[in-house]
Amino acid sequence: MINLLARALMMSTPLLFGSISEVFAERSGMMVIAIEGIFLLGAWGGFVGTYLSGSLLIGMLIAILAGVVTAALYGWITVYLKQNQVVTGTAINILALGVVSFLHRVIFGVPITPLTVQPLLALPIPILSKIPIIGPVLFSQNILTYMMYLIVPVSYFVLYKTSIGLTIRSAGENPEAVDVAGINVNRIRFSMVLMAGVMGGIAGAFYSVGYLGMFTTNIIGGRGWIAFAICFLGNWNPKGAFIGALVFGLAEAIAIYMQSSGGGLFPNELFIALPYILTIVLTITRKSFNVPAKLGVPYIKES
Amino acid sequence: MDTPFFELRNITKYFSKVVANKEVSFSIRKGEVLALLGENGAGKSTIMKILYGLYKADSGEIIMEGVERKINSPKDAMALGISMIQQHFSLVPAHTVTENIMLGNVHGRIDRKVCEREIGELAKTYAFEVDPHALVKDLSVGVQQKVEILKALYLKARLLIMDEPTAVLTPQESETLMQFVHEFTANGNSVIFITHKLREVMKVADRIIVMRNGEVHGDLKCSDTNELELSRLMMGKDLIPSKRGEGDLSADGNEIRLELDKISVVEDDQVPRLKDVSFSIHRGEIFGIAGVSGNGQQELCEVICGALRSTSGQVVLDGEDITDLTIHERIDKGIGYVPADRHKDGLVMEMSLAENMMLKASYGKKWLRHGLLDRNALNSYTDTLIKEYEIKASGPEAIAKGLSGGNQQKVIVAREVDNGSKLIIFDQPTRGLDLGAIDHVHKIIFAERAKGKSILLISTELSEIFTLSDRIAVLYKGMIQGIFKGSELTTEKIGLLMAGYNDDKRCTDER
Amino acid sequence: MNAKFRDLLVTNFLAIVLGLGASALMLLLLDKNPIEAFGILFSSVIRDKYTFADIFVKATPLIFSALAFAFTFKANLFNIGVQGQFYIGALIAASGSLLLQGRMPGALALVVVFILTIIGGGIWGSFIGFVKAKYNANEFLVSMMSTYVALAIMNYLLRTVLMEAKHEYPQTDALDTTVWLPTFIQGTRLHIGFILAVVVAISVWILLYKTPLGYRIRVVGYNSDAARMSGIDSNRLYVVAFFISGALAAMAGFTEVNGVQHMLLQGFNPNIGAEGLGIAILANANPIGIIFAAILFGALNVGGTIMGQMSGIPSSIIEIMQGFVMVFVILSYFVRSELETRRAKRSLYKAVEE
Repeated sequence: MINLLARALMMSTPLLFGSISEVFAERSGMMVIAIEGIFLLGAWGGFVGTYLSGSLLIGMLIAILAGVVTAALYGWITVYLKQNQVVTGTAINILALGVVSFLHRVIFGVPITPLTVQPLLALPIPILSKIPIIGPVLFSQNILTYMMYLIVPVSYFVLYKTSIGLTIRSAGENPEAVDVAGINVNRIRFSMVLMAGVMGGIAGAFYSVGYLGMFTTNIIGGRGWIAFAICFLGNWNPKGAFIGALVFGLAEAIAIYMQSSGGGLFPNELFIALPYILTIVLTITRKSFNVPAKLGVPYIKES
Repeated sequence: MDTPFFELRNITKYFSKVVANKEVSFSIRKGEVLALLGENGAGKSTIMKILYGLYKADSGEIIMEGVERKINSPKDAMALGISMIQQHFSLVPAHTVTENIMLGNVHGRIDRKVCEREIGELAKTYAFEVDPHALVKDLSVGVQQKVEILKALYLKARLLIMDEPTAVLTPQESETLMQFVHEFTANGNSVIFITHKLREVMKVADRIIVMRNGEVHGDLKCSDTNELELSRLMMGKDLIPSKRGEGDLSADGNEIRLELDKISVVEDDQVPRLKDVSFSIHRGEIFGIAGVSGNGQQELCEVICGALRSTSGQVVLDGEDITDLTIHERIDKGIGYVPADRHKDGLVMEMSLAENMMLKASYGKKWLRHGLLDRNALNSYTDTLIKEYEIKASGPEAIAKGLSGGNQQKVIVAREVDNGSKLIIFDQPTRGLDLGAIDHVHKIIFAERAKGKSILLISTELSEIFTLSDRIAVLYKGMIQGIFKGSELTTEKIGLLMAGYNDDKRCTDER
Repeated sequence: MNAKFRDLLVTNFLAIVLGLGASALMLLLLDKNPIEAFGILFSSVIRDKYTFADIFVKATPLIFSALAFAFTFKANLFNIGVQGQFYIGALIAASGSLLLQGRMPGALALVVVFILTIIGGGIWGSFIGFVKAKYNANEFLVSMMSTYVALAIMNYLLRTVLMEAKHEYPQTDALDTTVWLPTFIQGTRLHIGFILAVVVAISVWILLYKTPLGYRIRVVGYNSDAARMSGIDSNRLYVVAFFISGALAAMAGFTEVNGVQHMLLQGFNPNIGAEGLGIAILANANPIGIIFAAILFGALNVGGTIMGQMSGIPSSIIEIMQGFVMVFVILSYFVRSELETRRAKRSLYKAVEE
C-alpha cells in the first residue's frame, strides 16, 4: 500500500510538470497540442544526453533543449504565423516521432541488447523519511518529485499574485486589453509555449532517465495528452492540475501494480486503458468550466 | 499662439482593403476638447489608434510640444500622457476592476489590498461609484466606461481619447460624462472625442475636425459653425431625412399580429433576463423598443424568433400560440429577424451570398431539385435581390466577408424581409452603417410597414426610435417601463425611463 | 486560372519539395547521399507494376482516414480519434469475416461485413458526437482518448477470443480467400477497395456541397451562432457528423483487413489517423483533393520502405518526410494569406495613385 502511494506520487510528477506548463500556456490563450511531441523529444534528449555524457544533469539540459526547440517551432507557427493549433500540433507530433526514431537509429544503429542508463535515484530526506507512512511516501522520492512539491505553490503565486500572472491571464481572456495596455501579446504567448517546452522536456526525460533508464519510441504513449487533459479537467488552475496529476498518477500506479500481480478478475488491458477511460468519464461529467475566453484563438491585429 | 500639445502631420495609413487615412493633419491644444466628427468608416478611429500606437502609419509624423515623437506602441503613447478608451472597451470581463486597472501598470508582486485602496480613493476624487472588487462582467456598460476612465486617470493621462463614448449611455449618463470632460480639461488636460453625433459635438467640443473617406474636410471652431454645415461637410452632400412613408396612418385600429403575454426568462436563481414582458404589435405598425443595450433586447428577440425559450408566458402570432414552436417552424410562420450582431448571428462570412440566402431555408424543399441543391435557382434568386436592394457585390457567388458592412446588412435585410411575411424583428438595424445605408434601411422598414407587415424595431439610437416608431416601449433590466406614443415622450423622459426611473422618479430597483 | 488557385498549386508544390528537401538533409546525418537516396525513392516506385500499384494500395486507407478527419473538420469539430475508429472497423471486419466466411457466398459476406463495419465505426464515432451534444464534452479530448480505449479492446480480443488457432501470436487466423477484396490488376495487390475509396470521396464531396445536410454541416462549422439563429440543430449535426466520420474511418479498417492483411494484426498501421490528418490539411479538407494527397502519401510510404530496404535508411524516414511535408504545408497556408493581402494592398496603391 505504501509502495503503491509512493509509486503514485512518482508517476504523477511528469504529469504535473506537463499540466502546469499547459495551464500557464492555456491561460495565455495557447493550447500546446505539441505537448506529446515535446514529451517525446524530452525523453529522447534526456536519454541520449545521459547515455553519451554519463551525467544525468547534462541529460536533463539536453532534454530541456530538445523540448524548447520543439516548442519554439510550434510557437513560431501558431503564435506568429497564426496557424491552427490543433493541426500544427499534430503535424509536429508526427515529425517528432519520425525525427526521434531516425536520430536514435543514426546515433545507436540497431543495438542487440537494449541500451540502459542508471535512472534517477531516490534521495530519502534524513529524519523526514523516517516518519512512518508519510516518510516513505513523501520523502523517499527523487529530486524531480521534490521539485513538484514546490511547483504547485510557486505557480499558484505567480499566476494569481504577480503582474506577470495577471498579464498571462488577461492574454487568454482578452488579448486586446493586453495590447492596449502596451504589452506584446504574442511575446507573452510565445514565452508560455517555450516554458511548456522546458517543463515538457523535463517531464519527458522523467520517463526515460527518471525511472525506466531506457528509451523506446513509444515510451510516452499518450502521457502528453494526459497532461493536456489534466490541465483541462483541473479547470486551468495549478491546484486542479495538482489534484488531477495525483489521480492519474494513482491510476497509473494501480495499472502497473495490477499488471505485475496478474490482474485478477479483470484483464490487463482494462488497467492500461484506465487513465484514458478516466479522462473520458471526467470530460463528460465535469461541469462549469473556466475555459479562457480566447483559448486557441490567434491574436490578429489589422494592419 | 503657443505651440499645440500634439500635432499630427500628413498621416497616411493603408489597410489591405481601404485607404484608412490620407494625408491627415491637425493639432490639439492644452485644455481643449476636440471633436473628431465623421461617418462610420471615415477613418476617425484609425487616426487615433495611430496616435495611441496601436497602428503604425505608412507615412507622416507626430509632434508633441514642437518635438517629433515616434509612437510605436501604446507603451510609448502612455509615457507621453496619452490614453485611449476604445469603442469596444478593452476590459477583461472575468477579472475585477482592480485587476483591469493594474494590467500592465504594476510590476512584480501585486498587493491587492493596496491597489484596491488606491483605486477606491481615485474613484472618490472624481465621484465615480465604482467598486474596486467587482468583476467587470457584472457591471453595466456605463460603469465599465468609468473603469476605463479610471484606468486613464491612474496613468495620469493628459490627453484622453474617447471613441464613441456616449453610444452605450443613457442621456443622463452622457450628461455626467460631459461634466467630467469639462472638469478634466479645466485642469489643462485635453480630450479628443470621436463621434458621429452632431448634437453631441455642438454641446461638448471647443473645436471640430470633420473627416470623410479618410481625409480631413473641415477644421472649425464650434462657435463658428452649425449642425447643418457640419452635416454637409461630413457627408459631402445635403441630408434629406427619410419620410414616414405615405401618410401617418395610425395602426391602432388594425388587428393584433403579435402578442407577448407575461414573458419571463429566469435561469435558476439568477436575476431575470426578462420579467413579465407584455405588449402587442398590430398589423402595419412599427413598435420601437428603446433602452441601453444589454437590458434584455437580445433575449426579447430570441424569445420571439424561437432561439430562446421563455420560462413563463406566451407568445401569440395571429391568434395562434407559438410559444413551443421551434425556430424553423416560426420561420415558416413568417417571422423574419435581423439580428444586432450581423457577423455573429446573421451571416456566414466565409460563404457566398447565395449560400447565405438559403440560411434559413435549409430544411425546406424550396432550393432542392432531385434531392440536391439547385444552385442555378438560388443564384438567380440572389441576383434579383442584389439588384433590388442595390447590393454592391460582384454577384451571387461573392463571399460575404468581402462586402462592406452596409452591403452585408442589406443582404440580411433582403433575406429577412423575404422570410418575414408577417413580422420582422430589426435589432439595431443601422448600427455601424453610413448615412446612405441607414437611409436605405429606413426606407425598407417603412415600405414593409406599408405592406401591412408588423415591425419590431430595437435600437439604442434614440433618434432612430423616434423617427420610425408608431409606439415606443422602454426596456430596463428586462422589464417594460411603459408603452407610449412617440409624441408623448421627450428625450428627458425617455432618458429617465432608460435609467430605470418611472414617472414618479422612483428607481425601479427599489420596488 | 485565377491568382488564388495558382497560389494554391504553387505553394503546395513548393511545400512538398521543401518537405522532401528537409528530409534529404536528415539523410546527410546518416552519411548517405540524399540525391542518390531520393533517386532510389523516385525510380523504385515506378520500377515495376507491382510496386507502382502498391502506391494506390497504401493510399486506400489514407483516403478514408483523411475523409474521416475532414468531414468533422468541416463542422469545426476535431476528430482526433480516427486511429481508434480505424481499429474498431478492422476488428469488426475481421471478426465478421471469420464468422460469416463459408456460411454464405463470399460477395454477400463482404457486403454484410462492409455494412456492419460502417454501423460499428459509426456508432463508436457518434458516441463522441453524442457526449459533445448532450454534455458539451470536449470532442478533442474524448476522441483522442477513445483511440487508446479502442487499442486496449483490440489487444484484449486478440489475446483471447480472436487469437489464432495456434495461440502463438496476438493475431487472428487468416481469412478465407472468398472474403478477400478482389484485385483488379493482375500481378498486383491493388484491390477494389481503392475504387471504393474514390467513389466514397466523390460521394462525400456531393454530400458536403450538394445536399442540405452538407450545407448545414458547413454552416455549423463556419458559424454555429448563425446556425442556431437559423433553426439549425447543431447538436443533432454533431452526432450525425461523428457517425459519418467514424464510419469513414472504419471503412479503412475494412479495406485493410479484407483487402491487404487478410487477418487482424496487433497494432498494425499505427499512423493511419495522423497521416489522414496531414492529408486532409494538405488537401485543404477538400474530398477530391484528398484522393491526390493520399496518393502522394502512399507513394512516400512505398518509396520510403524501398529506400530503407535498398540503402539501409531506417523506415522512420517516411514519418520524417510526412512530418516535414505537413509542416511546410501549414507554412504555405500562411504564405498564401500573405500573398493575398499583398495583392490587395498593391491594387489599392494602384487605385489610389490613379
